[in-house]
Amino acid sequence: MTKNKNIKEFKEISVALAGNPNSGKTSLFNGLIGRHLKVGNWAGVTIEKYEGFIEYEGYKIKIVDLPGTYSLTAYSPEEVITRNYIIEEKPDVIVNVLDGTNLERNLYLTTQLMELEVNSVIALNMYDEVKEQKIEIDFKQLEKLLGSHIIPTNSIKKEGFKSLLNHIVRVHTGILTVAKNKLSFSEEVEKNIERLTDIIKGDQTLSDKYHPRWLAIKLLENDQLTYSAAKERAIWLNIEKELLEIIPKYEDMFDSSPAMTIAEDRHSFIRGAIKETVEYPKEIKKTLTDYIDSVLINRVLGLPIFLALMWLIFQFTFKLGEAPMGWIETFFGFLEKTAADIIAPGLLQSVIVDGIIAGVGGVLVFLPSILLLFLALAFMEGTGYMARAAFVVDKILHKVGLHGKSFIPMITGFGCSVPAFMSCRTLKSKADRITTMMIIPFMSCGAKLPVYILLIGAFFPVAYAGNILFAVYLFGIIVAILSAKLLKTSLFKGESEPFVMELPPYRMPTLKAVLIQMWIKAYMYIKKAGTIVLLASVIIWAAGNFPVSREINKTYAEKTHAVQCNQMFDKVQKEKQSVKLGRFDGHNPRHDTLQSLENMRLSKQLEYSYAGRMGKFIEPVIRPIGFDWRIGISLVAGLAAKEVVVATMGTIYSLGGEADEGSSDLAAALRNDKKYDMATALSLMIFVLLYVPCLAATIVFHKEAGAWKWTGIYIAYSMIIAWVLSFAVYRISKLFLI
Amino acid sequence: MKMTELKAGDKAEIISIKACGEIGSRLIDMGLVKGTRFKLIRKAPLGDPIEIMLRGFLLSLRLSEAKNISVVKIGHVGDGKPMRGGGFKRRGR
Repeated sequence: MTKNKNIKEFKEISVALAGNPNSGKTSLFNGLIGRHLKVGNWAGVTIEKYEGFIEYEGYKIKIVDLPGTYSLTAYSPEEVITRNYIIEEKPDVIVNVLDGTNLERNLYLTTQLMELEVNSVIALNMYDEVKEQKIEIDFKQLEKLLGSHIIPTNSIKKEGFKSLLNHIVRVHTGILTVAKNKLSFSEEVEKNIERLTDIIKGDQTLSDKYHPRWLAIKLLENDQLTYSAAKERAIWLNIEKELLEIIPKYEDMFDSSPAMTIAEDRHSFIRGAIKETVEYPKEIKKTLTDYIDSVLINRVLGLPIFLALMWLIFQFTFKLGEAPMGWIETFFGFLEKTAADIIAPGLLQSVIVDGIIAGVGGVLVFLPSILLLFLALAFMEGTGYMARAAFVVDKILHKVGLHGKSFIPMITGFGCSVPAFMSCRTLKSKADRITTMMIIPFMSCGAKLPVYILLIGAFFPVAYAGNILFAVYLFGIIVAILSAKLLKTSLFKGESEPFVMELPPYRMPTLKAVLIQMWIKAYMYIKKAGTIVLLASVIIWAAGNFPVSREINKTYAEKTHAVQCNQMFDKVQKEKQSVKLGRFDGHNPRHDTLQSLENMRLSKQLEYSYAGRMGKFIEPVIRPIGFDWRIGISLVAGLAAKEVVVATMGTIYSLGGEADEGSSDLAAALRNDKKYDMATALSLMIFVLLYVPCLAATIVFHKEAGAWKWTGIYIAYSMIIAWVLSFAVYRISKLFLI
Repeated sequence: MKMTELKAGDKAEIISIKACGEIGSRLIDMGLVKGTRFKLIRKAPLGDPIEIMLRGFLLSLRLSEAKNISVVKIGHVGDGKPMRGGGFKRRGR
């Protein structure tokens, strides 16, 4: 179709990039649009949508980078997005990006785009590698066969971009025409397509929306989405009658389905076209990829190398991230102090310092780790090792119902659940993705470590400390594996993503491409910290500070005043403080300083607050697993972030909120408490390990899972598992330890 | 024979595919159709999945998926048998 309108009417051209994964589509896109990148999400799915524009010859060319797909069936969300976008949004020009070194497979998508009869231009990408491998392509003839203009491009050196843009503009304005060749299929199929096309043409609305011939092909291919679209129309009765006649007859005649024949015909067409127009070098040399693979995924070395690389990534992410994490902590500490100095003490100071700054700081502190992790992941993905790693470990993970690609999120989970949930996006099937996400919290994250250290330090001999810590981590892994198995045999029975996966040739990704990928992910994380987490921090702060008890404040104000008076008096009298103060307060005189009074006030206030009441309220539920209301408060506060469990215990024991895992005072206080013993400690560690992770993680889970249903199941499941296993551990250890 | 019975280094041609639904569609989309020649490159360290080379690219698939594919062995690595081509018919213009 030619658009013969005046050029001046068109100031905007919409372009969509379509192509296989690993065809260099993304780098072509990045190269074309430069700085004008906009990242969002496709509606309803966790697949990123990349948009951008470029100004060229007075046109604003808007480009959308469609998700990489091999085909246009209705099985994966990527494919559905791509075809719906082409059919519904009707972009002016489609740029079909091909990996020039792998034409045979890449052209399969091209044949399907031909069926859609759109204005398309082919970018034959990676042309530098094509020349390097001495592959000769007869462009003229290939253009003739495919009916589209073909422009050789090289995204890294930005070669062919100008020509590509020229073609886009000229195709759009109608100066260049697109032949829109029809692929013809085997005789019998072709006959059936015509019959169906004739029926479909009887429905004006349907044939306006879809190309009748395309619809006919898709119906013969048993395409579910097309079926549902056609079923809404009255004409469906005629179509169905025809299909019920055609398909069984065809299967009888050829011992094959029309769908199979259609696919075979497409492949035959491609093979013919390749034979006619492409000449490969005679001798086949071993490629670099062959050499690297013979080591990296070797049957003996494959697994050890994989484990070593994972260990490296883990170290890289969390060890290298430690120093900058410290800086961010220091920075927020400084911010808190400054804010406390500037703003007068009171509610406003408290909400800003203890609520907002502490909350957002607590999330942003993970940023260095997240940046490094995403950097490592983008690099692995970019080089092509990611697919190999999945290849190496798939058998183990498939046994428990997961996918080879689940390993990245699981390992990441040991650092922080937030990036782990986000990295589940590489899993395409919903069943695999949700199952992996559900078990990630059982991979003990970095923030839970202080809790273990405190409890092990308080209740267990030093000689066993390492073993117990290891056992806790191992316990988490076992629960994760069993949970995966359970979920895959109940909730997601039989659903699994096929492991038909390309192992792309190794390529060195450009630094820019890796950095862009890293930044996009990190930016999403920062955005979350700035919005939802900010709100959540304020809510949790409020729960810990309200309602304010006038009585407690008054009592302690009086006591504080008395101590102050006494101190003044003491100074004047030059007498020893402690004796008098001790008499005054009736407590251990050693502790009676202003600070300890303030700590006691905070402790009482916390007990009085909503969080405190919640702790007391849930006491009946947690008593069977060995906890009292004080642990209850800590667990409630731990919903904000797991490190907070330790700080809250410090507050309850009147040691001030600054208590940390190394605090020997807190450990001693716990040890001396008659109510707690080894069994309580074990039970508490298991509970903290398994119960719902922090709020930030839960929010990210919800965003990524996309439905309240999953978030509900996830919260309920982790709570129940935590309670049941803590109960078991508590009761069993009570039997043996005491 | 089934694709799962091949050993590393074997070259074979696909006779038929008995798989429907998503798996069938995935196999077809990746070019595993009747007449396609391929070479089994290797098995994963734990024996599953397998890696094959066809149409000039590398593909991995699980044994559970490969068992749906019937093949005939045509040679072994290094025997000089061509991997590209095979019977073709071209239509369309």
